Amino acid sequence: MSNSYYFTIIGTKDNPLYELEFSSFKNIPTTLPSNYIPGKSQFSQSTKELLPFIANSSLDIIEDLQFSTNLLNLGKIDQFYGLNINGYITQGSIKFIICYDSTKDESNSIKQFFQEINELYSKVLLNPFYNVNDAIISPDFDLKVKQLARKYL
Amino acid sequence: MSDDSIIIPSTTTNSLSKLTINDYSKTGFGYNPSIGTQSNSINNIETSNLLISKKQIILSTSTIPIYEKLHLISKKSPIEEITLSSLLYLFSEIIQWQFKNSKNINDLEARLNGLGYKLGIKLIEMIKLKDGYKLLKRDTKILEILQFIHGPFWKFIFGKQADELEMSQNNNDEYMIIDNLPILNKYISIPKDYGDLNCCAFVAGIIEGSLDVSGFNCNVTAHTSTTDQHPLRTVYLIKFHSNVLYRENIRN
Amino acid sequence: MSKKNTGDDIWKNNVEKIVKLFTLTYGSVVSQLCRDFQNNYYEVNQQLDKMGYNIGLRLIEEFLAKTGIKRCQSFKETADIITKLGFKIFLNIQPTIENWSNDGKSCSLIIPEPNPLTEFVELPITSDSKIGKELWYSQILCGVLRGALQMVQLDCDVNFIKDVLRGDDRTEMRLKLNKILKDEVPAGED
Repeated sequence: MSNSYYFTIIGTKDNPLYELEFSSFKNIPTTLPSNYIPGKSQFSQSTKELLPFIANSSLDIIEDLQFSTNLLNLGKIDQFYGLNINGYITQGSIKFIICYDSTKDESNSIKQFFQEINELYSKVLLNPFYNVNDAIISPDFDLKVKQLARKYL
Repeated sequence: MSDDSIIIPSTTTNSLSKLTINDYSKTGFGYNPSIGTQSNSINNIETSNLLISKKQIILSTSTIPIYEKLHLISKKSPIEEITLSSLLYLFSEIIQWQFKNSKNINDLEARLNGLGYKLGIKLIEMIKLKDGYKLLKRDTKILEILQFIHGPFWKFIFGKQADELEMSQNNNDEYMIIDNLPILNKYISIPKDYGDLNCCAFVAGIIEGSLDVSGFNCNVTAHTSTTDQHPLRTVYLIKFHSNVLYRENIRN
Repeated sequence: MSKKNTGDDIWKNNVEKIVKLFTLTYGSVVSQLCRDFQNNYYEVNQQLDKMGYNIGLRLIEEFLAKTGIKRCQSFKETADIITKLGFKIFLNIQPTIENWSNDGKSCSLIIPEPNPLTEFVELPITSDSKIGKELWYSQILCGVLRGALQMVQLDCDVNFIKDVLRGDDRTEMRLKLNKILKDEVPAGED
């Protein structure tokens, strides 16, 4: 079974701008079982409901790190039962958070994913019709995030 | 419950984009904050195959794939240069337009500042990324970020660095960035009855926005400070809020 | 047109790397107008056109001074100069001219991509597709041409008929000569 991930972008007022649930695209069997959908999130229903809260509860940690370290990528910042939580904060105080249910530490691939998301997010900002803290609803953005998820995770 | 009564944190801003709980994406792509993660979950084999096949597709109304064509860091933008005149014509029309809407000179400056602010909070993210991508560092100290604004940031938007960066002698919460020849003021002559209007209020707004969004809350104002060699010399006075200084003190 | 005065030469001596600031500043004007007029995009187009017109009235002087161009012999020559010199000098792009009408009084200018006005733009996504049908994002260009041409005694209609932002295959402007004016100075528009 593949690992599942919950990725979210949080604005400067602790408001969610974007969310995505998915599972790892690695190790996909060559012959797919009948009802198997690569990339589909395999979090249980009860976990799904908790994910936004788990992500939000790590905001305090990120806020504390914002001015005590000058790194963009904060690495693994917390864990919650079987879930690892990785964070990233941009110069413009936008936070990226990933919660994932892996026994391994995937901080390296997550770091690469975060970096690309940071660049992608900067492009979103350049659109004059997008304001900081608006939800990011562009289908092309969603597609690009999923393509990055497939590439790195 | 009607759709309008649901308050979603991200859509309560004055956003031009808007989706309701009834708007389902036809393509299977696109996040809808009214629905949450269900709106863009990967739950059918078509979506899944599309991602695995690495096919390039465009989903928005535009014919140009904006996230593909623009490589901020790795590649050069296809349009690198443009004549300064074009920007100055546009800027003087902006001043005319805002002048008609404003009650007095202070109001006009506030409006120009507001327009600049919106650009500043966007520009800092891109320019920081372009400048410090390899380092993967943020600026977390007052002096660091001011040096960044004075140097790479200025160079990126105006094609040259600012001339001076000074700390106020009297107040430890005040800093000054000085530009001897602010390019936006190059062809603007202020009529006498406009008092001490400085159209670089727009630039002050850019600085304020970029500092604010980085966690350095401040007010920035533009002042003309003529010298014999530099008749247009402009001083940007940056006054940080007390919480920024307090934070700086405990972190050091 | 002497060999010295090609768009490339003039352009090379007068450039700054301020393209991002230009693009973003124009974007902030358009989005602010959309707010000011509460998404009445016809009014937004109109306002952009007026701003462009005022720019055009002033820009023509710099253009004539830089290029040293004398009175054109035909409207075709005028269109040629607009694309090869005008667009090149001020926006660093060179549109192509197509679809001349039989009477030689109207033609299409195809704006190449990337268009420096629209480089990062994606129209906002809403349930109703009004903006994609009504807003002409680069409308300011129409005003500029209208204003500049009026200053050289050419009364023209200029408007967009296609825009890649709306999903069209290309961005196309239509330029139509109404009449040649007697020597008189037009008044500025508010």
